[in-house]
Amino acid sequence: MRDVGDRSTRFLWPILGLPAMVWIALFFLIPLYVVLCVSFGTVDPIFRSPVPIWNPLEWQFTQVQVVWDRLFGPDNFYLPAVLRTLLYVVIAVGACLLIAFPVAYFTARYAGKYKGLVLALLVAPFFISYMMRMLAWINLLQPDGLVNSIITLGGAIPLDINWLSGNPYTVVMGLIYGYVPYMLLPLFAALDRISPSLIEAARDLGASGFDLFRRVILPMSLPGIVAGTLLISLPMMGDYFTSDMLSKSPNTAMIGNLINLSIATPGQSGQAGALLILVLLVLLIPMILYTRSNARAEVRS
Amino acid sequence: MPPSPRPVSRRRLLQASALALPGAWALAACAREQPLSGPTGAASSAAGSASGSAAPSPSGIPIASPQNPIKWPINPGNEPIASGLEPEANATLRIYNYPDYIDKGVLKGFEKEYADYNVSIELSTFNYYPEALTKIRSGSVPFDVTFLSYNFMGRLVYGDLIRPLNHDYIPNMAANIWEEFQNPFYDLEWQYTVPYTIYTTGIGWRSDLIPEDIGARPNPYDVFWDSKYAGEIAVLDDDREVIGMTILRDGGTDVNTADPAVLGAARDAMLEMLSLSQPRVTITGYTDIPEGVMSLSQAWSGDMLAAVNYLPQDVDVSTLRYWFPQDGLGLVNNDFMCVLKGGENPVLAHHFLNYMLTNEASLANLSWNGYQPPLKMLTPETMVADGYIPDNLKQAVVLPEWFVAGYPILELPPEVEAEYQAIWQQFKAGA
Repeated sequence: MRDVGDRSTRFLWPILGLPAMVWIALFFLIPLYVVLCVSFGTVDPIFRSPVPIWNPLEWQFTQVQVVWDRLFGPDNFYLPAVLRTLLYVVIAVGACLLIAFPVAYFTARYAGKYKGLVLALLVAPFFISYMMRMLAWINLLQPDGLVNSIITLGGAIPLDINWLSGNPYTVVMGLIYGYVPYMLLPLFAALDRISPSLIEAARDLGASGFDLFRRVILPMSLPGIVAGTLLISLPMMGDYFTSDMLSKSPNTAMIGNLINLSIATPGQSGQAGALLILVLLVLLIPMILYTRSNARAEVRS
Repeated sequence: MPPSPRPVSRRRLLQASALALPGAWALAACAREQPLSGPTGAASSAAGSASGSAAPSPSGIPIASPQNPIKWPINPGNEPIASGLEPEANATLRIYNYPDYIDKGVLKGFEKEYADYNVSIELSTFNYYPEALTKIRSGSVPFDVTFLSYNFMGRLVYGDLIRPLNHDYIPNMAANIWEEFQNPFYDLEWQYTVPYTIYTTGIGWRSDLIPEDIGARPNPYDVFWDSKYAGEIAVLDDDREVIGMTILRDGGTDVNTADPAVLGAARDAMLEMLSLSQPRVTITGYTDIPEGVMSLSQAWSGDMLAAVNYLPQDVDVSTLRYWFPQDGLGLVNNDFMCVLKGGENPVLAHHFLNYMLTNEASLANLSWNGYQPPLKMLTPETMVADGYIPDNLKQAVVLPEWFVAGYPILELPPEVEAEYQAIWQQFKAGA
């Protein structure tokens, strides 16, 4: 009997996992290989379309070299956009954390029987596409839009703010708004898991409110903070849409905008691919660190 | 980056469709592409035979310019269709164009006119011409008619992708279209193309937001370097248009130059513009200017005529302004239509081209998208009198002589094109 059971479970889990593996192979690994072949490939001299080189032994490095020079060479005009992206992402992640933490804490601890409802409301933005939400902001932020008429109390205060004139703060605001829900959920999951008895115990032992936060809640919610930070900073790094919609100014261009521009430029798909791979490699580092620390935490528990 | 204007009423949604682009691009890379059989050989031999009249680019394809007008070769086996053929019955005519660049009502009109043949039209759109070219070459959809500008003409001929025209089917060309287009430099004897629209690149603004008469400045282009208007202005999201405008501003006239000194100066000037006036870079001026999101933008003439349709209720039409040098010494370009070789309905495609050159269809299209067809019957006076444009936008009308006097944005040899692209990328990176 035992043998049979073992054999069936031995095949059961791989079979259940198969669709996901096939999915990843079809829609991630193979496309990624195509990107590599395009980046290390050549360009059709007449049509300026990418000519991928499928054999890794024949890969050429000219397009990667171009991108590398623009990042770190003497004429490194990509670098300011990269630094700008990092700055925007750091600010936006910090702001998301500040906004999401109290909300998640409240939902986990005090929402009581309304917990489900509050959560549903928090997830509601997911039902509307990112693009639609950004379009809504364009309307709200227009010179005669709702935001300005509220700030100026319907025109009573003579303030003339053009939010859409290519400001970095509008772009960062858009990033914060767009990604805050993705921060909320992992934070909620982590905070919801903290047992109330632990908090009561800390209180009984004389911890002040701040001590309670610093020594119990914060350390225990750390996995959620890390997960949320990764979850939103990775897509933000590649975001070009927010800047395109809310700013349209080169002064707020992010890495994603550079990649998008290269794709739209004839003969530069390879450079776009090379840029993409460089970003991917850099982003892989925190990803690997995260999964490793997660695995270790699991072993410990 | 064809400078082709797209008066895109739903441009913002289209930008979103670009979200899917990386995926599409990866797929396109996988897609089967027709190898350049013949064309490479044909290109070199043709370049040899055409070397007297045309400047061949290193890739072997000659580049048409007013100084080097080109009569394109007709590849063996790609002769025009015979005269007097019946249009294909029960056909689906596949049109491939920029989004919202053709009035659907005009397409419906064609279906109605050819109802006896039970014709239906299928309109597909692309955002960038390189994207379109990849799809046309892949042969995955048998498009019949496409719309383009000078930049890809050579590639379409040498790639054996377009069909020479039989003029017998297109009498409206001689009847209705400007003399200047009967033998245009980019396609002598109009073997492959018929013109679609002609437009200028100037400056558009709303006079209630910017009271200054920009056109009265000694050098109106200087407005883009005026810190007084920081945050209020925009330039077109098109490398050639912005670099060309910068060259004109600095007193040059060759907007297709390969001179490194001129290009270097243009790059420095553009970076200076970034820090002085913080322009936005967008082609949505035709909605953003009337709505007041920005006050002034580099603009295509057609976009400023289309802008009339996007004015809020409480803003008067008379506030819209467009400036273009009235001696025609500015950026003047045109788009044209051609019949693709891979299409299934060549006869019907010829009829469609002829239909698009009728006064009725052209005018209906003009009043919808704002882009002027080069019709003999249109003059600034008649366009104002007939209500196609308000009097204050009279400078947006293109005159026939400007097609000769103006500066067209031409195809570039690949290594020069790479220079332009690098300047543009530096500009767009905000560095």
